[in-house]
Amino acid sequence: MGPNRSKALLEREPRFDDMAVSLLAMPRLPKAMVKETKQAVELARRFNDTVVRPYALELDRKKHEDPDFLPWEFVEEANRWGLYTLCIPTLFGGQGVNFPALSYVLEELGSACTGMSNLVGVHYLGVATLCASWNMRLMNKVMRDTAEGEKTGEPCLISLAITEPGAGTDVEEVDLVSKAQVACQAKKVKGGYVVNGRKIFISNGHLSYWHMLVCYEDLKNPQDTVIMLAIHNGMKGFSFGRQERKMGQKGCPASELIFEDCFVPDDLVCINPAQGKKLKRSMKETHMQVIDYIVAASRAGVGAFGVGVARGAYEEALRFAGETEVDGKLLINHEWAQCMLAEMYKNVAVGRLTYEEANYANDLLGMFKVLEWKPIFYYLKYMPKPIMDKVIQPFLNLGAVTWLFRKIYFDWQKETDYQCSSGWGSLSKFTATDIGVKNGQLALEMMGRAGLRHDRGAEKHLRDSKLLQIYEGTNQLNRLNLFKCLIGRDVPGARVFEE
Amino acid sequence: MKIAQDAEMRMLDQMAADFAAKELVEAREDHDRYPFLPLFEDVLAKAHEVGFFTLLLPEAAGGGEQGISALSLILDDICRSDASLGGIIFTTALAHEMILKAKSEALLPPVASGDHSYREALIACPSFDNPGEAGNLLQAKGKGKKHMLSGSIEYVVLAGLCGRALLPAKVEGDESYSLFLVDLTSPGVEVSEPVFSLGLHACPACDLELKGVEATLVGRQGEGRAYFDAAVDKMFLAAAAMATGIMKGSFTEAFEYSLQRHQGGWEIINWSEVRMLLASLAIKCKVADMLLSEACRAAEADEAGWGLGARAAAIHVQELACDATTDGIQLLGGNGYMEDYGQEKRFRDAKQIQSLLGLTPMKRLDYIRRIREGEKPW
Repeated sequence: MGPNRSKALLEREPRFDDMAVSLLAMPRLPKAMVKETKQAVELARRFNDTVVRPYALELDRKKHEDPDFLPWEFVEEANRWGLYTLCIPTLFGGQGVNFPALSYVLEELGSACTGMSNLVGVHYLGVATLCASWNMRLMNKVMRDTAEGEKTGEPCLISLAITEPGAGTDVEEVDLVSKAQVACQAKKVKGGYVVNGRKIFISNGHLSYWHMLVCYEDLKNPQDTVIMLAIHNGMKGFSFGRQERKMGQKGCPASELIFEDCFVPDDLVCINPAQGKKLKRSMKETHMQVIDYIVAASRAGVGAFGVGVARGAYEEALRFAGETEVDGKLLINHEWAQCMLAEMYKNVAVGRLTYEEANYANDLLGMFKVLEWKPIFYYLKYMPKPIMDKVIQPFLNLGAVTWLFRKIYFDWQKETDYQCSSGWGSLSKFTATDIGVKNGQLALEMMGRAGLRHDRGAEKHLRDSKLLQIYEGTNQLNRLNLFKCLIGRDVPGARVFEE
Repeated sequence: MKIAQDAEMRMLDQMAADFAAKELVEAREDHDRYPFLPLFEDVLAKAHEVGFFTLLLPEAAGGGEQGISALSLILDDICRSDASLGGIIFTTALAHEMILKAKSEALLPPVASGDHSYREALIACPSFDNPGEAGNLLQAKGKGKKHMLSGSIEYVVLAGLCGRALLPAKVEGDESYSLFLVDLTSPGVEVSEPVFSLGLHACPACDLELKGVEATLVGRQGEGRAYFDAAVDKMFLAAAAMATGIMKGSFTEAFEYSLQRHQGGWEIINWSEVRMLLASLAIKCKVADMLLSEACRAAEADEAGWGLGARAAAIHVQELACDATTDGIQLLGGNGYMEDYGQEKRFRDAKQIQSLLGLTPMKRLDYIRRIREGEKPW
């Protein structure tokens, strides 16, 4: 058996590189990630004890009572605790904790309150979107605003504005967006763009300062004319509309963003078709690469929310079973209850494995691959901050740096790279969020009417969990994306989104 | 519902459907915001006028003397639009049924709608509990018909709305609990603010604290469990009807939405995965309808083993409703999660009513206990 034949066997579906991602990734990752992750989890647990748990039910009830309430107090507290710069690279003024650690943090926060976990996590969706353009100048500008906001005590969050009233799932897939009813348009004018349209369901919208706006130059040809703009509060023609009235995750606003002849100067263009022309692939393919970079990372994060809420429901049920007598003995001593708790524990553990594997895929092949390459990782970690800020930072404004990063991330990315990271992102997203809903349901079955009470916290986990099956692409879209990335590619005649 | 076969049932069906369409649909979102917005008292008054709160009571007691099929039919219709009203009807019917099983209808004051408010027609009770499973019960002291009750009891449904409650309490030395009728305006009764809950927001429950409160024994001392067990088979059917109605409402909303919402260039119903979800939802509705209709028919005919059938129907249909309403939201995507549509409320209400009459796993264990004790499983 020669080496070529062995390689062919490993390329056969399921490809070894797709099925053993963690095995391949672990030796290549810096050991210091472990310590960083432990410290991040400690921070999240302290934050839960001090801030999240004492306030979670009060905030949820407050939003029931006043749907327009905005949780500034919480955001300012999270800002003080450094949660909005935790995973921003030191290169851009952040603390530089590795991105996969964020998933563990989000699980921790989600186990206490998924809404508050979102108030932190969705900011990093904005960060990931900005990063997926690999516009180093704007990445530096926007993320340094967040770092500055931490120093001044004025939170500077970043949101992603992509969903429209007529197009939800469609905007996350280029084959669908080509036929979608999108209406948010950016028209080229001298010195910039003029934007008109509305975006809805924008998590953290009202609470963010920067908004990564995805819109289109030509509404009849959106797949080839996508454009990403960095919008900030106070720009003429940009305003906030209503907050949606959601079933759960009430602490985290879902906002409407309105653009009426909003002029966006050229220096706030993250990426547009003109820049796309300089890349190897077509704009449509680059458009999908951008989406895949974002969702491969963000869907692992949503997986972590799912695990967090599943864990929260499990922990409420466990507490209840340990203190409640049913039919003459403690519930926890009923065999059926023990099996139900074991099932819930298993759900949490399985969900966690999926987001970990998705993150390994991102470490190896996706958005994190440069940052977690050992030389870069340690260089950024140990480079003194003044040198980073004064010597290295100015280089980020050079077009050559953006050119280099786009070369690495767009032109040199192999098809199998984004198939693996995007496929695992989707797998984690729908597995872990289905588990979140399942554990919410099981907890309430075990607790009966005690679980229905708002003041016990269990019912909130169920309400919160349901949104996770919907946003960041419905779980149906994510199943299709998994099919497209890791299943259908090897089946002659298989077509996706073409019914 | 399939049981609406004869003229009288069809008339009831139409009346309940019209009532729901006229009184419940438009203001559903506001009704559901209780206790942060006022209770839908005008709707409750109208529901009382048409006799929804006294359906099972004999005519002599001012009731409609209807059977379980009629109650189920009405609950199915009402819960398609707003299950909170269904919860109020259910709780009062459960209390009435236990009082009737205890042959204590004389304790019920006249409730005819012309002379009495809806509040007088309602009776609060802990309709989410099987008191036999509970660790702590109220304590009763005394002899004969009058007792003094003390202790605390959680989640007494309608306690904040009406003046009377049917409560379980244990007399010291008794093996099992008894049922007592309590005037909630009596000295020594402390009623909490409405307990904010997952679903059925406009069917509120309160926690009660009782300190030596005079109460009237219902039926015989120590026989509360027997009355609960005798009433509950029928009420399982009512609970199944609520779940069936919620599911049907969820399907209708999702189906209509799928014909209008566009994705990928055409209406979403043209995507086969959407049709699969819709089919699954429709099949669950159909199965629930057939199951409930058959279980109601068996109960009305007093066929042997109908009680087990009623329990099986309820446990199964309530579980179906939880799954179905989850898909019901999914089919509307982000819109399904928002209060502007009825889907998120149906999801919450379906899960809430799964806990009616006690812990779901204990209902399953009780089911097999009855078979073990000799009841024929089919």
